Amino acid sequence: MAILEIKGLSKKFNNNVVLDGIDLTINPGDIIGVVGPSGTGKSTLLRSINLLERPEEGSISFGELKLDLPLKGNGKKTVKELRMHMGMVFQRFNLFEHKTALANVMEGLITVQKKTKEEAREIALKELENVGLLEWQNHYPKHMSGGQQQRVAIARTLAMRPDIILLDEPTSALDPELVTEVLNIIKKVAEQGYTMLLVSHEMDFIKKISTRVLFLDGGKIIEDGSPREVFGNPKSARAREFFAKMNKLKEPDYII
Amino acid sequence: MSTNFSDFFSLELVWKRIPELIKKIPITLELALFSFLVSIVVGLLIGVARYKKIKVLGSVATAFLSFMRGTPMLIQLYVAYYGIPAVLKIFNSWGANINVNLVPKLVYAFVALGLYQSAFTSETIRAALESVDKGEIEAGTAMGMTYPQIFRRVIIPEAIENALPGINNSIIGLIKGTSLASTCGIIEITYQNQILAGRDYRYLEGYVALAIIYWVITLILERVFKVVEKKTRIPEQPKELAEV
Ligand SMILES: Nc1ncnc2c1ncn2[C@@H]1O[C@H](COP(=O)(O)OP(=O)(O)OP(=O)(O)O)[C@@H](O)[C@H]1O
Ligand SMILES: [Mg+2]
Repeated sequence: MAILEIKGLSKKFNNNVVLDGIDLTINPGDIIGVVGPSGTGKSTLLRSINLLERPEEGSISFGELKLDLPLKGNGKKTVKELRMHMGMVFQRFNLFEHKTALANVMEGLITVQKKTKEEAREIALKELENVGLLEWQNHYPKHMSGGQQQRVAIARTLAMRPDIILLDEPTSALDPELVTEVLNIIKKVAEQGYTMLLVSHEMDFIKKISTRVLFLDGGKIIEDGSPREVFGNPKSARAREFFAKMNKLKEPDYII
Repeated sequence: MSTNFSDFFSLELVWKRIPELIKKIPITLELALFSFLVSIVVGLLIGVARYKKIKVLGSVATAFLSFMRGTPMLIQLYVAYYGIPAVLKIFNSWGANINVNLVPKLVYAFVALGLYQSAFTSETIRAALESVDKGEIEAGTAMGMTYPQIFRRVIIPEAIENALPGINNSIIGLIKGTSLASTCGIIEITYQNQILAGRDYRYLEGYVALAIIYWVITLILERVFKVVEKKTRIPEQPKELAEV
């Protein structure tokens, strides 16, 4: 049974078609890596799925919940319900600056899931422990490294027990030496059985953890298969070019 | 005939004048407080309306701000002083029953001062709201928080930190602005000085005493504001380690 079903999703910015009729079915436990050239709409796809952007056409279904676009009358309520099934991890962490790590993780539990403070606290502490930041619970984001902030952001998302986690380049705003600690956490989360949609330029990592890879170009999914299929034997010339370029970038000559 | 310096200026008289002026400080402070309340309420309404880009309110607000900033405060005080009774009389002619003479002069003054200040406070508030990180708002939205929840729990704490220095400056501006209310016949410290100086012609000493008083009030307020501003900032240290 599909967990999330997206049909004909289209999004324009002014006259620039960024998503061009995306169809995508996500199954429970899928770890989907989304790759593709810059500006092809990867972020827009993730943001559209939880309605941070408003696509003009298509539908998004989660079990019984179905949202038809463009949004109409009672759509707002469905949007909120959809969002309660999804978690989002942002490139720039987006922690609440005025709240401690612990308060960041508790926030949604209290305001959205209406848990008591004690329940929220208990869950939040567990999640902070899960990302290895229990002793940082009382620190404010500005006193934490980027890697630590992103781990708190992941804990904040996990605390809500989302059915799907959307991660948009979670490591690309980090200093190189901090990337690994965050990737390790994401790997751990993947192993805990979460369903994930992960946009990243970390090709090796995507190869390693994904059960499925999407290659996006020009607002369309033009490759969709196992990492072995997509990376090893891409059908489209565009994907071949892209992977060749990514591989070249890794060669030592190119590293200054 | 020799002229003595103390013919022109006597420090002793300055010190003597101060306690007599201080008697009217409650009026000055009361005036500043009420003006501040008006300015913060109107400033919030306009600031939030402009932040939320509420169309109708927005263009009315823009015209209001332009008028308030483009005319001297003294003139606005006179407009209020003569205008508010006129408006009340018009209401009465429509059947209302307001005794115009019972509306204290203080009301005209603090309405005028408050509205004047609100023109600036509203911009402080709007700028403070706009500088809140959009990413945090998106994070709240994405996790399913409603906009009012985000406004209350994410935007406000950050906006307060941003707005507080500007708002505190506005309070100091209002304290100084209350001296204009003397022209509406309110006996606050500036008017009190005029009354006293009218008796002994010691204007210079009186105004020096007055300046000292305003200065001291401002110094005290600045101290208080520093403490308050620090409280709204993100602490430099982690919170005390709570029991796990
Ligand atoms: N808010 C916006 N307004 C106008 N255009 C936008 C907006 N957001 C994105 N775009 C445009 O949509 C296109 C896709 O952007 P998007 O951020 O989804 O690409 P991406 O695949 O995530 O790229 P990258 O790998 O650089 O993150 C780009 O051409 C971008 O300029
Ligand atoms: Mg992107």
